[in-house]
Amino acid sequence: MQNRFWTFLLIALVLAGLVSIGLFSGRFVVYLSMRVMILAIFAMGYNILLGRTGLLSFGHAAFYAGGAYGLGLFSIHVSTDPLLGILMGVLLACALALIVGFFCVRHTEIYFAMLTLAFGMMVFSLIWNMRELTGGDDGLVGIMREPISLGFISISLLKTSHYYFFVLFWFVVSVWIIHLIRSSPFGLVLSGLRENDRRVEFSGLSVKNYRLASFVISGTFAGLAGALGALLENNTDPFSAHWSHSAEPILVSLIGGIQTFTGPIVGSVIFIVLREIIERFTQNWMLWFGIILLVIIMGLRGGVVGGITQLFKGGRHTSPSGGKP
Amino acid sequence: MLESIVHVCLAGLSAGMFIWLVASGLTLIFGVLGVLNFAHGSFYMLGAYFCYTLLRFTGENFWLGLLLGPLCVCVVGFIVERFFLRYVYHLALPYQLLLTFAFVLLFDDLVKVVWGAGSIGSPMVPGLSGSVSIMGRNFPTYNLFIIAVGPLVALGMWALLEKTWWGRIIRAASSDREMASAIGVRVPALFTAVFIFGTWLGAMGGGLAVPYVGLLTPGMGETVIINAFVVAVIGGLGSLKGAFLGALIIGLLSSFGTRYIPAFDMFLTFILMAAVLLWRPQGFFGEAT
Amino acid sequence: MTTPLLEIKSLHKAFGRVVTANGINLTLERGALTSIIGPNGAGKSTLINMLSGSLQVDSGEILFQGKDITDLPIHKRVRLGLCRSFQVVNVFPELTVFNNIQIPVLAVRKRATRLFRSLSREKDAHDEVGQVLDRVGLESKGHVLANALSHGDQRLLEVGIALAVRPKLLFLDEPTAGMNPVERVTVLQNIKRLSAEGKTTFVIVEHDMDIVFSLSDRVIVLHHGDIIGDGTTDEIQNSRRVKEVYLGEEVME
Repeated sequence: MQNRFWTFLLIALVLAGLVSIGLFSGRFVVYLSMRVMILAIFAMGYNILLGRTGLLSFGHAAFYAGGAYGLGLFSIHVSTDPLLGILMGVLLACALALIVGFFCVRHTEIYFAMLTLAFGMMVFSLIWNMRELTGGDDGLVGIMREPISLGFISISLLKTSHYYFFVLFWFVVSVWIIHLIRSSPFGLVLSGLRENDRRVEFSGLSVKNYRLASFVISGTFAGLAGALGALLENNTDPFSAHWSHSAEPILVSLIGGIQTFTGPIVGSVIFIVLREIIERFTQNWMLWFGIILLVIIMGLRGGVVGGITQLFKGGRHTSPSGGKP
Repeated sequence: MLESIVHVCLAGLSAGMFIWLVASGLTLIFGVLGVLNFAHGSFYMLGAYFCYTLLRFTGENFWLGLLLGPLCVCVVGFIVERFFLRYVYHLALPYQLLLTFAFVLLFDDLVKVVWGAGSIGSPMVPGLSGSVSIMGRNFPTYNLFIIAVGPLVALGMWALLEKTWWGRIIRAASSDREMASAIGVRVPALFTAVFIFGTWLGAMGGGLAVPYVGLLTPGMGETVIINAFVVAVIGGLGSLKGAFLGALIIGLLSSFGTRYIPAFDMFLTFILMAAVLLWRPQGFFGEAT
Repeated sequence: MTTPLLEIKSLHKAFGRVVTANGINLTLERGALTSIIGPNGAGKSTLINMLSGSLQVDSGEILFQGKDITDLPIHKRVRLGLCRSFQVVNVFPELTVFNNIQIPVLAVRKRATRLFRSLSREKDAHDEVGQVLDRVGLESKGHVLANALSHGDQRLLEVGIALAVRPKLLFLDEPTAGMNPVERVTVLQNIKRLSAEGKTTFVIVEHDMDIVFSLSDRVIVLHHGDIIGDGTTDEIQNSRRVKEVYLGEEVME
């Protein structure tokens, strides 16, 4: 089939590109690319909740921080094995998401948004105040990137370029898993929730359980991103749990296109690259982002990817998401 | 011992009234327009900066600055509502929130461009500076002033909404937009007017904050907006009575918290917010959804 | 003696001083196409809402196939086989017609929790969706977005979604509201045919008397929360009480 061939070709090209960045680019580009991939993991996972299920959460930064601090604490106190560290970070984020989600999915719309904000800030204030455990406003420092030991071989992660391929691995895995979820029956039900949650209930499905599952899945990916970020920077930042950090995946998904699969990825690239460029010329990148955000909300609600696909499809079946995100 | 408690209470009252001043505009806008305005903190911040600048221009006249500053911010508020917010009322919640958030980003940086990124110390208000001795300890005079202003504003708003013709129209439009429109109320214009009024309240809060907080920084909007949100939620989104009481509760809570359990006052505030949202989402005075 | 499909015992519901269900007792048997009629405000919608689970009863019992479902949440009632369609079209607007039906089909086939299996591999569900589309007459429109359908087609989709969960008892709330006469006839013929198949028992809330009397095996008349008539179409047409109520209402206008 025509379509499939082009899709595979595109994926192969992108992969080749990503690999060559790791092999040939300078340190800064490699570092930026890792930041893009980590943000993309955060945003893609988050978009399952926002774009698919239609729920706006302002607390997901807390799960990102859960992943970061989970890995950090494990690395400092127990073992520096990176794979185990990531597992611990992801598990902590998942558990947090389960607890918070349990309380939050009973409500929708603005109450849901406010509840997630409250819980997210509770996590933030805990991190901020429990200095002995979390390092307070300094965060946890000295998180080392020890080699991965898989029995007979040991893969060093110390060099930036080596760590790059580790991040790339998790990025590809995340993209694949999220693709599977989106094209599964579960993913279809999530779309139904966004469109008409009452009708989903009347199809014999528990809306609360599906919302919770969507919440936990997105929280888990946030945790993965946080853990990878902590290993990248060798420290944790308490502000990664602040509600303003929760705005990043929302922004990024919006820029790329909330309803699309590749939207969050494209959005992450644009966000980070644009911020770098803008910061070269002026201190005021927030100003420009505010303007870009305004433009998108007022006019280009399908985001970049949405706009491009509309161009190709000629706006036949798809309608720009006017009513719902 | 007793003076400690009294002083903590007074501090809580002034903090609470201060939050009320900020939250009143937010609550009004949400109650009538149904929009949660993230940029309200920015209007507060702009209010503070404008008042400060006017204060410098008018030869240190605080009251003149307080009069004119918020009016300047109202122009900004008008532009935001009339040319941007109005077009997203029919869209889903995330777009509204993100639009206001975009303005937060914009205004934060604009302030940095115009006034610089550093913090600016603000002068005291002649006549209200210094402190009063209460039970043997000093308490800032300006804080007493704030404690007095808060209820005045509350009374003023109550009178406006309950006793005037304007107030009746506002209340009608907020409970049933279509019906109000059907009987001839120009709802879009009304919304703009309410938004401007809410903006004015926020900017006033900022102006009054100048001597209270003592310091102007580009991030001052963010610190205040969260507390305003918490208060608005606890009181019942859209209920002014509730916001007033919620502000008192939060003010006192954080004051006692800071004094006796310093590590956890932020946490307590958010637990209270979550608890109210979970068990009584309409707050203490809001209408049941 | 077979357990009746649905038993309602002393169902009571009041909104303030307005009583919408006044200790209603009712039994429904499998297979009989029943209509519920009554003037506006009679309590028909309230009854459907209570039976389907959207509204809590003040007091009383609801037994479905002998099982007490009075406090059961909506989705559990649907899984037991009790479902409803809506008077105002209540579909998934930005999904295709096919996907609209696919959601309830997957749910009833217990495939809706699959996270890692591609939708395209669900061949059996795929076929069943096709069958449902055939039964309501939308087989050619599977790929169209729900909100791009004509109003009549949307109503067909509405019924289709309700049928897709393979209900044993299905409440149709004014299924032909807003349809033109041709569409109306099609829908009713479909309902009659489906009812004859025997898999689903239909209960229809309707205003149009012609439809009611041409279609139903049994007619129930509600008025101010009370059942004032319950019998065959002949019995109801000849009932003095029913005529009083309807004529009374008309005279008052």
